[in-house]
Amino acid sequence: MSRQQHREELIKFLRSIQRRDSAIKEVDDSQSLVESGLIDSLAALQIVSYLEEAYKIDFGDNAIDPGDLRTVGTILDIIERVTTS
Amino acid sequence: MSTFSDAYRSVSQFHENEKLAGWLARQRIVVWLTPARRRSILFFGAIAVGVAALFQLRKHSAVSTWLEPSLAMLSLVGLAYLLYLAAANFSRLPAAVRRRPQMALHALFWLLVALAWIAPPEAGIWRTVVILVAVSMPYLIWRYGYMLISGQRGKAAGTSFRDHLIYIWPTWGGTNTPIGKGADYLSQCEAKSADAYARSVLAGTKLLILSAIWEGAKFLIGALVFSYPKSPLKPLLGDYGLGIPRMRRILIGEVSAPLPIVWLSLYLEMILETVDIAARGHRWIGILRLFGFNAFRNTYKPLLAVSVVDFWNRYYYYFKELLVEFFFFPTYVRYFRTRPKLRIFAAVFAAAFLGNMYHHVLRADKILVAGEWAQLWARLNPRLVYCVLLALGIYVSMLRQQKKRGRAATAETEATRLRKAIRIAGVWTFFSIIYIWDLKGNMTISTRFGFFLSLFGL
Repeated sequence: MSRQQHREELIKFLRSIQRRDSAIKEVDDSQSLVESGLIDSLAALQIVSYLEEAYKIDFGDNAIDPGDLRTVGTILDIIERVTTS
Repeated sequence: MSTFSDAYRSVSQFHENEKLAGWLARQRIVVWLTPARRRSILFFGAIAVGVAALFQLRKHSAVSTWLEPSLAMLSLVGLAYLLYLAAANFSRLPAAVRRRPQMALHALFWLLVALAWIAPPEAGIWRTVVILVAVSMPYLIWRYGYMLISGQRGKAAGTSFRDHLIYIWPTWGGTNTPIGKGADYLSQCEAKSADAYARSVLAGTKLLILSAIWEGAKFLIGALVFSYPKSPLKPLLGDYGLGIPRMRRILIGEVSAPLPIVWLSLYLEMILETVDIAARGHRWIGILRLFGFNAFRNTYKPLLAVSVVDFWNRYYYYFKELLVEFFFFPTYVRYFRTRPKLRIFAAVFAAAFLGNMYHHVLRADKILVAGEWAQLWARLNPRLVYCVLLALGIYVSMLRQQKKRGRAATAETEATRLRKAIRIAGVWTFFSIIYIWDLKGNMTISTRFGFFLSLFGL
């Protein structure tokens, strides 16, 4: 899968966990998801679960930096790191 | 009306004013204060804070000469440097330490505490040094922890020791909780250009103004609501203060009050705590922002939170972050992965109960190092109830929030506004009630429980 395809899948997932009062339409890769109010900080847990299930990422092996889950771009970087290694 | 609200917005949101930010970005001082210079100032600030800590250590009852606190400070700086080397060369550490670096750090702390307990008085100066290092560690241990996390994430390799010293003895202040976390977070939010720095300075100025406003609010609440006898406003107000008794006085039976006043006192106590933490947090983050680190606020409108978990997230952000990074996430990613609810439950209890209690055990540094168990137990046992209730509240709230996520919001009507108000009131009530077990003082759990029942006329 290309980065663009991963991105589409990710946006689809983020829409399923978006805050009720803030719909995700267009989101920039460097835009902070929490600061811009698109998701709340606890949605990071669901992002972790999503990455574990969809990409078999084992966060238990490394210290998780919640900051790495803050933008679409940084989440895609994690996916790329795992899928190419 | 809209003109008034526009004017209010332009004043209150002055930090977002593009023209003002542009003007400030062109000022010599802002251009001169490059990230490297700002970090240098913070480095010298860290040294000054370290020297101030040295003077504090000199006051410890076990100290007789300057040599002991000096050796203790040297040990603490030396330990910081060793941990920096460990973080920068993380992959070369023994596998056991690499897997559990925080456990290794805390094991070292407890080893020091044990040494302080068992060292005989004949050990003289060395015993005193161990005691001083051990009582200083609770302030530093989470900061050291952030340094190791940075190493674990592979982000410490290109950093210098100075980059870490600035948050180990932070010029911007704080408590045992590292305000602004560690090097990773600070780098993330650091202004790299004059334009970004100008915005950070404006945002910091706004927080410092807000801090002063909240300090003023505390002062007024004390004088007008609680009628503090020593308030400078007392001669002016005479008997016109409301005279609501503080909750502690009602709880220990020093004063009695009708039930509605007791409830009012309970809510006011929670509001006063929130205003107090907002005032202090805004000051710390305000100063940090003046140095170009545009960090999240410590407190962000918690009294408008519509859920328990939302309040917890907004009330004392950096304490919550500490619990999340050191307890919640490590538990969440390691245990019960196939059982989602149990997974969240375990992570929430690891953070809000275990981590919260542990953090407060360390806060009782002098009592702990002196091995005064009875005093430690008396001080902390009500907090066990507080932490259990907090963890349960957060867990239930998280599950409820998760169910709601992803659904489209309904249009705002009178009914939705009313529902929101009811939810806010529910959050206030929850945190006011659990605060009964967090109130400082030697009141026992049963005294506090009796007070809780009395709120319902029982």
